[in-house]
Amino acid sequence: MEESLLLRLRVEEFLYTEAALLDAWRLKEWLALFAAEGRYEVAPTGDAEAGTLDAAEALFLVADDHPRLEQRVIRLLKPSAHAEYPHSRTRHMYSNVRVLERDGAQLAASANFVTFRNKRGITATYMGEHRWQLLEEGRGFRILRKRCVLDLDALVPQGKVSLIL
Amino acid sequence: MAAVIRPQEPNRTRFIWRDPQRGRFLVHRSAYANAAVFEEEKRRILRRSWVVLGHDCEIPNKGDFIVRPVLDRELIFNRDVEGRVHAFFNTCRHRGAAVCREPRGNHKRFVCPYHGWAYRSSGELVNQGATEGYDARFNEDGFYNLGSVPRLEQRAGFWFVSFDASVPKLDDYLEGAGPMLDEIAAHSAAGLRVVRGCHEYEIKANYKLICENSYDGYHLNITHASYVDYMRSMVSGLGKIDIRGCARSFGGGHACFEVRIPTGRPVAQWLPVWGEEARVQIEAKRAELEARLGPEKAERIANVNRNMVLFPNSIINDQQTILLRTVTPMAHNRMVIRAWSFGPADESPVLRRIRNECTLSFLGPGGFATPDDVEMLELCQRGFEAGDVEWNDFSKGYHAGERTLRDENPRFDNELQMRAYWSRWDELMSAPE
Repeated sequence: MEESLLLRLRVEEFLYTEAALLDAWRLKEWLALFAAEGRYEVAPTGDAEAGTLDAAEALFLVADDHPRLEQRVIRLLKPSAHAEYPHSRTRHMYSNVRVLERDGAQLAASANFVTFRNKRGITATYMGEHRWQLLEEGRGFRILRKRCVLDLDALVPQGKVSLIL
Repeated sequence: MAAVIRPQEPNRTRFIWRDPQRGRFLVHRSAYANAAVFEEEKRRILRRSWVVLGHDCEIPNKGDFIVRPVLDRELIFNRDVEGRVHAFFNTCRHRGAAVCREPRGNHKRFVCPYHGWAYRSSGELVNQGATEGYDARFNEDGFYNLGSVPRLEQRAGFWFVSFDASVPKLDDYLEGAGPMLDEIAAHSAAGLRVVRGCHEYEIKANYKLICENSYDGYHLNITHASYVDYMRSMVSGLGKIDIRGCARSFGGGHACFEVRIPTGRPVAQWLPVWGEEARVQIEAKRAELEARLGPEKAERIANVNRNMVLFPNSIINDQQTILLRTVTPMAHNRMVIRAWSFGPADESPVLRRIRNECTLSFLGPGGFATPDDVEMLELCQRGFEAGDVEWNDFSKGYHAGERTLRDENPRFDNELQMRAYWSRWDELMSAPE
């Protein structure tokens, strides 16, 4: 089989595992997928250039360096994270997975996504594109960056991004 | 023989029940949960008030425009080619189509996509997209120029609109809150700059709940316990957080709370976690503030966090950043929030990055606090509708001598702010029409 196809399958396998950990609220294991300098970002809604903005310059929805991402995970597992207590039910769907670039051990990958969140009888839908910067490590990967670009003008009617997309 | 005390008739209106003898101040839940009351307050209050539209720095250049909803109207907030600021209704004078379809940009003209009627940035009709069929005197009197909101005025660079031509001047309307806007404008001699990106989100709750929540000091340690834990982990040595502050009502239903809390202000209060480069820059900023404004005012700008609601639905918080929140009531049980972050126009890239990080970690629909506020407001709205319980309580710190509309309370976590809001709201709802 062509090497690029095998690589894509390995990346897909990794990303599907990532999504499954989120749906199961196994957030500490999800966090362990990140490299020590890993970042997680959700770009602003309603901005046509959201995919290329820098969180130091623009107001993102989420722009976590590793220490803050760890705090996000700790928080989301507490009953005092009210928006997610009890936890909502979520379903992360990834498709159109592509490996965009390979530079030594670093990979850029992207996928379209739809994430459904259900709580108190209301289902919210989030859709857009995820981009991952991955570091190849043995047979697996570590996440250097996960950036989410929503195809939404605004969080209407979703209201919040209390879950991890 | 004990004196016979005749029970005093409690002071009660359709919506407010004051009982100072028992220290009670109550608001009827129909004020949040009844569609007919919402229609009535749109007519009596929302359309007759001043509502914030945006800040001068959002349209810095000639021709800049932003399309922005205000209440149930869609406005074009723009600066014309002469530099004058306008707020037009986004509708063609011909047959009604929106003349501007982009959310923001720079245009010398707005051209209706339907029949091609073209307007200057100052609103004047240039042509009708047709060369014949119209009298030469067709628009001699300006009848067909873009419609402007009845009133548009600014204070300290914050532009406000009113849909009622007869409202008092903005400066009079703001009463004691006006100087608070001046103080925000004083953060930098270079003026303010808006940070790119807007937090826009829906809350399935009555719009007054976000006003209450924005200056509710009482809920901070409870609703945001997990944020307080986060701050403790970030700020080493932060044990029990000593919050000192007060609440003030300014007249007109406007009010705020102010707190001194050592959790960092990118304008001029440094946190060790921000690093040495930021410390040097913030010390220089503090010195600049002192030289320009004197030590007392500089100290306030450096250390005081203030959350303020300008009656009835404009929110300006001065904390991790200067956050302007507009509230668009959609129905009695639904609103849309739009929030923008502002900082000094001459802020360094390092401090701008810190400002963005501080803003995100607390505020906004992906932060560590706002999602929990959204959750609480939706739980409240559900509670109003789920139970036959009539009254909401705002008694904390209430006493018989309170001059509610213009007073000061020594505790930031009392409820003077909300009592001031509701007293003004009730005056307007009770006035003869």
